[in-house]
Amino acid sequence: MTTVPTRRTLVIGAAFAAAIGLLAVAERLLVREASAQPTVQAPRFAVDPFWPKPLPNGWVLGMTIGVGVDSNDHVWIVHRADTVGAVEGAADQIPPTATCCRKAPPVLEFDPAGNLVGHWGGAGEGYEWPLSNHGIFVDLKDNVWIGGNDAKDAHILKFTKQGKFLMQFGHQGKTGGSNDTTTFGRVAKIYVDPKANEAYIADGYGNKRVVVIDADTGKFKRFWGAYGAKPDDTNLGPYDPAAPPAKQFRTPVHCADLSNDGLVYVCDRPNDRIQVFKADGTFVKEAIIAPKTLGDGSTWDVAFSKDPQQKYLYVADGKNEKVYVLDRQSMEVLTSFGDGGRQPGQFFAVHSIATDSKGNIYTTETYEGRRLQKFVFRGVGPVPRDQGTVWAR
Amino acid sequence: MARTVSISIAVVCAAFLGVPAAQAPQAPTFEVDPFWPKPLGNHWLFGSITGVAVDARNHLWVVHRGAASLNARTEIGLAASPATAETCCLPAPYVLQFDSVGKVVSHWGGPGLGYDWPQSPGGLTVDAKGNVWIAAAGADPAPGGRGRGAPSTGLGSGTETAPPTDAHVLKFASDGRFLLQIGKPGKVEGSDGTSGLHRPTAVDLDAAAGEVYVADGIVNRRVVVFDAESGAYKRHWGAYGSKPDDADIGPYDPAAPAAKQFRVPSCVKLSKDGLVYVCDRRNDRIQVFRKDGTFVKEAFIAKATRGEGSAWSVAFSADPQQRFLYVADGSNQKIWIVDRQTLATVSSVGAGGRGPGQFYGVGSVAVDGSGNLYTGETYEGKRLQKFSFKGMGRPSPPVSKEPR
Repeated sequence: MTTVPTRRTLVIGAAFAAAIGLLAVAERLLVREASAQPTVQAPRFAVDPFWPKPLPNGWVLGMTIGVGVDSNDHVWIVHRADTVGAVEGAADQIPPTATCCRKAPPVLEFDPAGNLVGHWGGAGEGYEWPLSNHGIFVDLKDNVWIGGNDAKDAHILKFTKQGKFLMQFGHQGKTGGSNDTTTFGRVAKIYVDPKANEAYIADGYGNKRVVVIDADTGKFKRFWGAYGAKPDDTNLGPYDPAAPPAKQFRTPVHCADLSNDGLVYVCDRPNDRIQVFKADGTFVKEAIIAPKTLGDGSTWDVAFSKDPQQKYLYVADGKNEKVYVLDRQSMEVLTSFGDGGRQPGQFFAVHSIATDSKGNIYTTETYEGRRLQKFVFRGVGPVPRDQGTVWAR
Repeated sequence: MARTVSISIAVVCAAFLGVPAAQAPQAPTFEVDPFWPKPLGNHWLFGSITGVAVDARNHLWVVHRGAASLNARTEIGLAASPATAETCCLPAPYVLQFDSVGKVVSHWGGPGLGYDWPQSPGGLTVDAKGNVWIAAAGADPAPGGRGRGAPSTGLGSGTETAPPTDAHVLKFASDGRFLLQIGKPGKVEGSDGTSGLHRPTAVDLDAAAGEVYVADGIVNRRVVVFDAESGAYKRHWGAYGSKPDDADIGPYDPAAPAAKQFRVPSCVKLSKDGLVYVCDRRNDRIQVFRKDGTFVKEAFIAKATRGEGSAWSVAFSADPQQRFLYVADGSNQKIWIVDRQTLATVSSVGAGGRGPGQFYGVGSVAVDGSGNLYTGETYEGKRLQKFSFKGMGRPSPPVSKEPR
């Protein structure tokens, strides 16, 4: 049958053609807009959705509160196993209420392929496991350092990679404030300088300072507060973006990482800033990031890019759910990636960040995010200022 | 007479005993697509997802619990007043429609004129005309209160006056226009009531008969059928097709004789051959009925499961015979693959965890025209996931270990 176009179909056809035309124009505009979007040269990343491999034994993670990479590019995490509740940890109940799941041991070691190759942690002889473990660092002598941020945690633990207890500095329940020279106050993170054999302590959730100790003896060497001044534990009240920059750190002081050129990068989390110091505590500069962020703040953890110059600084922001890429010299935010959500490359409370020798980034999430994720380094190239969720396709 | 179909272990074992390939049992196989759906945009987050469904165009529909199931301090800082975050995040609208490539193509939901938006939504289904039905499953009272619903999703501080209990079902056009409400919040009726519900969990439609089936629910213990246009009551039944009884039967005990009543009927689904599949969630079983409520058979799924139970919701495979039943199990964190004829569990998909293809609280399941599987997670899972159908193949061991 042959159909002769009626007036009505012709009208519809014309309207359709017009609509197509409009769409084409709209598409061209979109393309122009996209190409006009300012880009910047920066390291590029794409999430690897299948890294790490599924954990064995029906193990699941609690709040995943620290990540570190060792000299073999093995990735270490510490998580709060006891935050796995009775519903999710059904197989741990007595009697079990389901076949899945069980809480994984607190310290987990993954090889570069994402296989779980080691696990340990928890209470043991001769040391006080933190009531709320926080932060993990593997030094070049293969010691594993762990802090703790429970109200009673005031100590630092050092283990071998196999989980053998080596040293405890400080004791649970014994804290003396930000000017004490023998105790800590709810330590967030540790970073060990192999050359000077010194450990930099982000101290912490109770205290408001950076402490440097001898990495073998734990003896205090020096400490300082914001701007390198003497720390003061006076309560500053909540952060106010409109107020002048605070003269003190606000708790938690959440990271204190040392660059190859001897600068200390300190996360002053609720103050939304990174302060930079010389190794002796002399203030150098600061960068304010997402300054309207209230509550938990924007500057949760830092890691350095793996080029010899450590040209870039990566800052994890568990409140705005992204990772900022900063030019380390200018401290300018070049770009950011990530967004809120539970899919690969998205975050809920991205808490900790580390890089391996190939420049890949690893992140862990606390609260209900509870993941370890890998972002594969894809070279330096043009990227938009806000990359959102970074998928390879 | 009640006849229990025991799950055949033989089917499962054959896979591991070197049975020649020609005779080897086959089950649908799947592969998770980690990049489906596409990022929601607008810094939107899913709350606890309670319902997923596929419409005639193979679009995926989802309903979730929104802000009430998201952490105001740590998760949705942009929704606070003043905002506590600069760039993220906000609760997504309650109802979202995705096209087959995983792009959000429409969204709506929330309170409006002429209907009572649920205190907390339950299951969602799309009927043959494209209308969207949502059960109002309600939330548990604040800790210390009375109730036997799902574990707390963070709802209720215990200080404000409790809103009226959800006791209704809603029907919307695909654009979100309100069409029909059956029942009224606060106007609860027991399992023999003919006009009221009590925290219904799921709905399904019989297009030919113009009837809507309601799994009722978290408090009631029955399936109830209404006219899909007028909402007029038609019939209802309890476990084994008998008269429901609301007497408290205490917690589920795997060793006890099979309960004579439902413990949280959490799904109802009609097969093409006219059978009604009901999830009896906390009894770890699926009961099968004729449309008139005559009991046909039942199957236990991971029978040792306690707590919220194993049989949360079901979907049928996409073949014309609907050979397989997919059962979402938010306690064991799996989708069980069940032979619909024998009701034997033949394979499974998934495991616990927060990586792609893993689950926390997988409570809803749907299948598209190509046989792909979609899952929704409640609790803190809060994800929509797609599992691409990869044809028939070797089954995964369906039961590695039963809880002792």
